[in-house]
Amino acid sequence: MNSTALSFDALERAVAALPDNGLSALRRAALEQLRRDGLPGAREEDWKYTELSSLIEIANNWLDQGAALPAPSMRAAPDAIDATWIRIANGQIDDDSITGLPDGISVKRLSDTVPELAPAGRLGDFNIALLHDGLHISIGQDVTLQRPLGIHVCDEAGDDSVSQVRINIDVAPGSVASFVEYQVSEGEADLYSNSVINLAVADGARADYVRIQNRHKRHNQTSHLTVGLGKDARLRHTSFDLGGRLVRNDLVVDIAQPGAEADFGGLYLVGDGQHIDNHTRVDHRVGPAVSNQEYRGILDGKARGVWNGKAIVHEGADGTDAQQSNHNLLLSRNAEIDAKPELEIYADDVKCSHGTTVGQLDEAALFYLRTRGLSRRDARRMLTRAFAQATIGRTPVEQLHDFLAGAVDSRLRELMHEGDQ
Amino acid sequence: MPTEQENLEHLVNRRYEHGFVTDIATESLPPGLDEDVVRAISARKNEPEFMLDWRLRAFRMWREMDEPTWAHVHYPPIDFQAISYFAAPKSDEDRPKSLDEVDPKLLETYDKLGIPLHERARLAGVAVDAVFDSVSVATTFKEKLSEAGVIFCSFSEAVQEHPELVRKYLGSVVPQRDNFYAALNSAVFSDGSFVYVPKGVRCPMELSTYFRINAANTGQFERTLIVADEGSYVSYLEGCTAPMRDENQLHAAVVELVALGDAEIKYSTVQNWYPGDEQGKGGIYNFVTKRGDCRGANSKISWTQVETGSAITWKYPSCILRGDNSVGEFYSVAVTNNYQQADTGTKMIHIGKNTSSTIVSKGISAGRAQQAYRGLVRVMPQADGARNHTQCDSLLIGKECGAHTFPYMEIRNPGAKVEHEATTSKISANQLFYCRQRGISEEDAVNLIVNGFCKEVFKELPMEFAVEAQALLSVSLEGAVG
Repeated sequence: MNSTALSFDALERAVAALPDNGLSALRRAALEQLRRDGLPGAREEDWKYTELSSLIEIANNWLDQGAALPAPSMRAAPDAIDATWIRIANGQIDDDSITGLPDGISVKRLSDTVPELAPAGRLGDFNIALLHDGLHISIGQDVTLQRPLGIHVCDEAGDDSVSQVRINIDVAPGSVASFVEYQVSEGEADLYSNSVINLAVADGARADYVRIQNRHKRHNQTSHLTVGLGKDARLRHTSFDLGGRLVRNDLVVDIAQPGAEADFGGLYLVGDGQHIDNHTRVDHRVGPAVSNQEYRGILDGKARGVWNGKAIVHEGADGTDAQQSNHNLLLSRNAEIDAKPELEIYADDVKCSHGTTVGQLDEAALFYLRTRGLSRRDARRMLTRAFAQATIGRTPVEQLHDFLAGAVDSRLRELMHEGDQ
Repeated sequence: MPTEQENLEHLVNRRYEHGFVTDIATESLPPGLDEDVVRAISARKNEPEFMLDWRLRAFRMWREMDEPTWAHVHYPPIDFQAISYFAAPKSDEDRPKSLDEVDPKLLETYDKLGIPLHERARLAGVAVDAVFDSVSVATTFKEKLSEAGVIFCSFSEAVQEHPELVRKYLGSVVPQRDNFYAALNSAVFSDGSFVYVPKGVRCPMELSTYFRINAANTGQFERTLIVADEGSYVSYLEGCTAPMRDENQLHAAVVELVALGDAEIKYSTVQNWYPGDEQGKGGIYNFVTKRGDCRGANSKISWTQVETGSAITWKYPSCILRGDNSVGEFYSVAVTNNYQQADTGTKMIHIGKNTSSTIVSKGISAGRAQQAYRGLVRVMPQADGARNHTQCDSLLIGKECGAHTFPYMEIRNPGAKVEHEATTSKISANQLFYCRQRGISEEDAVNLIVNGFCKEVFKELPMEFAVEAQALLSVSLEGAVG
């Protein structure tokens, strides 16, 4: 249990006050489910290192104050990323951004369809219960997208607020598509954003997905991305967590067809007062199939990072190749990393491995750079940047590399400056 | 001397040979557990007041605790009121002073187990404190040990003879409320071993205890406490076999090790309790708490275990690296076959400066067995210069078994270097083919490969155990191939 409980009466009022549309019945069902199950608590294995109480407090405050969503912020998506942007601001879909999309992309509001929403845990129920509206994005058969499709989630917090994002994405057989999810926020009030995205990659299709989170240091996020892979489908996914206060990301990859390939990973930069938790789970239900994940973390100041990777090879999934790795740089005395690479294997013709390291910058390398005339600070920064570069280098959408290098670099400067103090 | 190959051949096809019951009447308490039972156990053992109080406190804590369910194992609920909490050989009144006085039936049991006690003791220079059910019945080489000042006796004896040591160290590593089974053990433990090695003494021989579970439907609750005073060294061997039984037997032991400054304790285990039959019927439930405390600077505790038995194993020999420069080691081979389940691993808690730990875990899962490695490496903020290397490898034999890894790393010091590697695979077809090509039968080839896989751990075992361990491995994997 959390030390703080969600206020269900206020939640019920908020759910009832939402516009009556095709989601109403689902919202009520999700509310009932949530009433039975409650939100995840720290005594549960998956939530051992991340306590949601502070988020529940924000939610309760917001619910008590009438659960109004602030007027959507009109902040533009970054110019540096060349993409077709769909905007969701403070949980509300920007209508202009979903019209006139390039051929091969069709977008509908979830309330206009008869949505089937895949379960995404109790935060998924919380998401549905309070969902204004979501999107269903389809990429047509044998379409190759020329530009990435961007999902720009921007929140502005004038007062305490909670917002929900829900998107289903279908990539039809034979298509090739890339997506950039860009989550940012501003404003000095407390904010909690909860997003649930389902990505279905059909037979022979390829999807590249880059998630960038650069929220205000006061703001919180939980995100849940589920990816289903068809026969011979391929996923390449990279995530960057640069900002935020308490951030929890779940990535679930489901391999139910042979020949699928999933390559995913991420970089988390955690500084003073931040808590960033990345949980991944890959289910190998059949073989042959490959999954490979690599996460990297840099922690400085009073920071806490959590990484939990789980690979499950189900009975009969012969020919599975599942690799996990996680590397962490701890740069300060007050930083903590909790890493847990898990393998659950119920088949025998498999190759699975994981490797995890926690360490510091190599003193010999630092010394080498110092003998070349670099200050200690510059040498540290250079080596840290090199450590981060490994993740930037494996990011699938190549045009993002420069943008990411810049964003990571500027965050590293802040982070290491905080750490120096 | 037969070659390793001949040994393997001989062992591969044999069934579990320790499945027999020695017919000695045991004086058991009726099943059930309440404060009176705890008092009765304490009274029978003629314990001083402080021990009774200690047990009762533990019992009261246990009553408030919930049975843990987090382990990756499945079994029907245990009825703790259906277990008899005390069983002792009848000859408890006048315990034998030497082997000659030991009940010949008992010696026969050891003989069947392949442990010719006196011979082994003389030839190998090992003192054996043989535990038959719950009460120690024979201790050898006592004189030689006492010359060195080493105290090696049954726990009950230690309570009578050295109450000040027991009082000082009992529960100091595994407190009563540590976990559900440790609390239960603290309340009802029947006997076990006690070792105290004084300052600067290198124990002149390896100490060894053989455990047996005998009386039907009797839980066995051992308590072992080993204290190595400053600058001392001791190597302790624990091995066990149990007779074939259909009813599940609960075993919840607690082992506490204390290493003071510059002391070293090496604790080796070969565990071969009855694992249940091919259908998964019967077998021992082995829910053990083992923990070592490197209390002084430069101390070292090393756990080596070969786990082949038990229907269910739940065991995490751990080290608390409190002293600066202290060292913790964990070497483990765990084999599960048929319907066996094991959830085992270790915890290394780095507290002192420049502490280091090594974890090497080899798991072999065959048949329909499920095995999990569960480990924790925690580096506290003050543990500057902490170092850990963990390697856990799993080998899968058969389509229906499972191998799982749940390592936890909680690192709070920027000076820490922690590495964890794990692999899971099946026996390589290339290796098998190579052996078969050389005329080695498939089963022999598998044994060879498995032994090679475990070599890193076997080389940490004392000589006497290494041979036994290899043999056990083959017996445990019997029927797993083909």
